[in-house]
Amino acid sequence: MRLTYSPEVEAFRAEFSAWLDANLPDEAATAVRPRSSADIPEWSRSFQRRMFDDGWLVPGYPPEFGGRNADLYEQAVFWEELGRRRITQSFNPQGLGIVSASIITFGTGEQKHRWAVPIMRAERTAALGMSEPGAGSDLAGLSTRAVLDGDRFIVNGQKVWTSGAHHADVLLAFVRTDPDVPKHKGISALIIETDTPGLVRRPFRDITRPDPDFNEVFFDDVEVPRENLVGELNDGWRVCTGSLAHEREMLWILWSQGLDRMLDDMLEQLNDGAGAGAAGDPVVLDGLGSSIMDSWALRLLGQRQLARSRRGLHVADQSLLKLLGSEAQQKLSLLMLEALGPAGLDRTVPPDAQSPYESDRAALSWADRYFFTFAGTISGGTSEIHRNIIAERVLGQPR
Amino acid sequence: MEFEFTEDQLELQRAVRDILDAEAPPELARAVADGESDGAELWGTLAGLEWPAMALPADAGGLGFGWVELAIVLEELGRHAAPGPFVATVTQFAPLVLEAAGPEDAAVLLSDVAAGRTTGTVAVDEGAGTWDPAGVQATTRRDGDHLVLSGTKHYVVDGATADEIAAVVRLDGEVRVVLVPGSSVQPVEVMPIDPGVRHSTVSLDGVRVPADRLLGRGDATRATRRALEESVAAIAAITLGACQQIFDIINAHAKERIQFGVPIGSFQAVKHKLADMYRDIERARVLVYYAALTLAEDHPDRTLAASMAKAAAGEAQRRCVQDGLQLAGGIGYTWEHDLHLFLRRAKVGELHFGSASHHRRRVARLFLQSGAA
Ligand SMILES: Cc1cc2nc3c(=O)[nH]c(=O)nc-3n(C[C@H](O)[C@H](O)[C@H](O)COP(=O)(O)OP(=O)(O)OC[C@H]3O[C@@H](n4cnc5c(N)ncnc54)[C@H](O)[C@@H]3O)c2cc1C
Repeated sequence: MRLTYSPEVEAFRAEFSAWLDANLPDEAATAVRPRSSADIPEWSRSFQRRMFDDGWLVPGYPPEFGGRNADLYEQAVFWEELGRRRITQSFNPQGLGIVSASIITFGTGEQKHRWAVPIMRAERTAALGMSEPGAGSDLAGLSTRAVLDGDRFIVNGQKVWTSGAHHADVLLAFVRTDPDVPKHKGISALIIETDTPGLVRRPFRDITRPDPDFNEVFFDDVEVPRENLVGELNDGWRVCTGSLAHEREMLWILWSQGLDRMLDDMLEQLNDGAGAGAAGDPVVLDGLGSSIMDSWALRLLGQRQLARSRRGLHVADQSLLKLLGSEAQQKLSLLMLEALGPAGLDRTVPPDAQSPYESDRAALSWADRYFFTFAGTISGGTSEIHRNIIAERVLGQPR
Repeated sequence: MEFEFTEDQLELQRAVRDILDAEAPPELARAVADGESDGAELWGTLAGLEWPAMALPADAGGLGFGWVELAIVLEELGRHAAPGPFVATVTQFAPLVLEAAGPEDAAVLLSDVAAGRTTGTVAVDEGAGTWDPAGVQATTRRDGDHLVLSGTKHYVVDGATADEIAAVVRLDGEVRVVLVPGSSVQPVEVMPIDPGVRHSTVSLDGVRVPADRLLGRGDATRATRRALEESVAAIAAITLGACQQIFDIINAHAKERIQFGVPIGSFQAVKHKLADMYRDIERARVLVYYAALTLAEDHPDRTLAASMAKAAAGEAQRRCVQDGLQLAGGIGYTWEHDLHLFLRRAKVGELHFGSASHHRRRVARLFLQSGAA
């Protein structure tokens, strides 16, 4: 056990840091803000492209996919630098983190160059079509139907919650291709261009922001070429569960950084802002202490996972980290909201509290932030589902 | 950063576990609970294996294994609810002597401890339950070439049995550490919830010791605080071990106990409690190991890390005792079942050396002062 990274890893950090100094867009250029999770302003597109071209977008990937074959600790310091400078890796997180990652893991060479690379270079954007009105936690119960007809699929049905779909060029949609087998065995993954006739998107608002991000997506005899099938026919469940394989060991970092971001803001407000009165309250201190411990524990559990993974050991703590991270953010934002009293209801955002390079939801009122934490505890598997997974797969309880 | 045990440390963990499985089985903890043993044989065995020396720093005449190795031992002692003077001697007495007397003098003073011939403890708290040296009011004054003490110390672990008591008192207003022979005080032992960890109220009134039993020079507030960081991290490690044992018992029980025709572990109310216990234990585990690492390296985070470890172990025990006892059903409420042996050890760990809430508030204050998480 040791507390520091090796000199090689620190050299990697320094190299990335120097690259950022030289390449981060001018603040003045960042005035145009993203309107949804698949809307990337021009300045951000060109920055993401530069990251890709210089091998700094997903350092763990090979150079042809925007990386430099970085090892896990190098990837970790890459994330630390982004977090420290409050830079969001991509304003189209589902496109980069899930859609292009799935295509790179399961797609053909042709698919990688046609979709994955343009998505990574921010030339195109993508949304993720998993959930349906009847299939949320029970994702494998999805019923959007795709019938193979010669060299194309005919798709009918509906997706919902599809973040950013109204600004996305393509969807990665999970569809039922065989209704006569057990539910996990009849699903396929399709890339669907959103301008295909018969595909209709209807954006709707969530509780945190004026601009809509959610969409309903309707499919009415939508024709999708067979070559858009990602992975084997009826093998879509594997794509669905394996799409994050590349970044699996890294996902905790985003929870950890989100939590630390909140702690930073809290520190500022408790030391001299609206919350100075609360800083002496033993109840507030008690809660704050627990949140600081959450932050450290998350970081240490994440580092343990990296260490185990590098030794080739099975890593089993993704559910634990997701549960701990998302609920820790909820706990802390609620604490701060209550500590501030009525001041916590103020929606005005101090203009300097936010970096122009990060997503706009990082700096909101504590009430809005508290609501926003439910995006964490509901999407990506609800907290209840992750508790089930821990009990069954980690602790060995019967299903 | 390589936050996982090395192969050597994993090997040590297996060896320690095997020895304690053999030498400190549940029957021993039960015999202690039944008042049929005081665990003395175990101390003899561990001393024979050089465990006290192993855990002591080389500076103090020990074998100089690091704090991470000590944490491994302590966690296993907790998992076995092991009785005996190891914990107070090695993680309370020795650090305080070392910090207060300095390495040279301590090496002489602790050589008998390293050899397993002498046991020790500390007398710090005076009833507040926080072990804060700033709150010490007991005093000593010089009387020729002797010191005369007065005051009352609370929650002195092994206070009725330890050979030596390192008492934190004031001399001319300064915090100092004085070694008091256990035989010179009249301890009143408190009826313990866990007979494997006993504490006493110790009156120092009128106790006379030779003046060379005053350790070090100058105010010992900082020395005491540093030593207590080790004691605090040690109790956290023991509590973690006790929680792990409670969890292992209950996780196995949930797979075996059939009700309504199925194992109770298939009920979601049971599953979610187990998942939450697991989460709290793993959270405490990494914070305990982090504290051990900062102590091993004398890293500036050690103060923060020790308090985080203690608070996290406290949160874990709260959930594990609550849900562990509940999920065992009636069987866990019986004296015959082993569960209560570990519930007791976990609760003692919460209340000795500052509660979880006390340490959480310390963590928050340190954070607000330092300006970073
Ligand atoms: C901000 C946000 C963004 C999203 N973005 C996308 C996206 O881009 N693409 C996409 O496809 N989806 C997206 N989703 C959808 C998300 O994946 C689903 O909301 C999630 O899977 C839960 O499904 P549901 O909403 O239907 O809730 P339900 O499954 O109906 O769950 C309702 C409640 O029942 C509980 N529950 C359900 N089953 C169980 C069980 N077996 N055991 C215990 N409790 C259970 C749940 O935990 C929850 O508390 C997004 C959701 C949010 C909130």
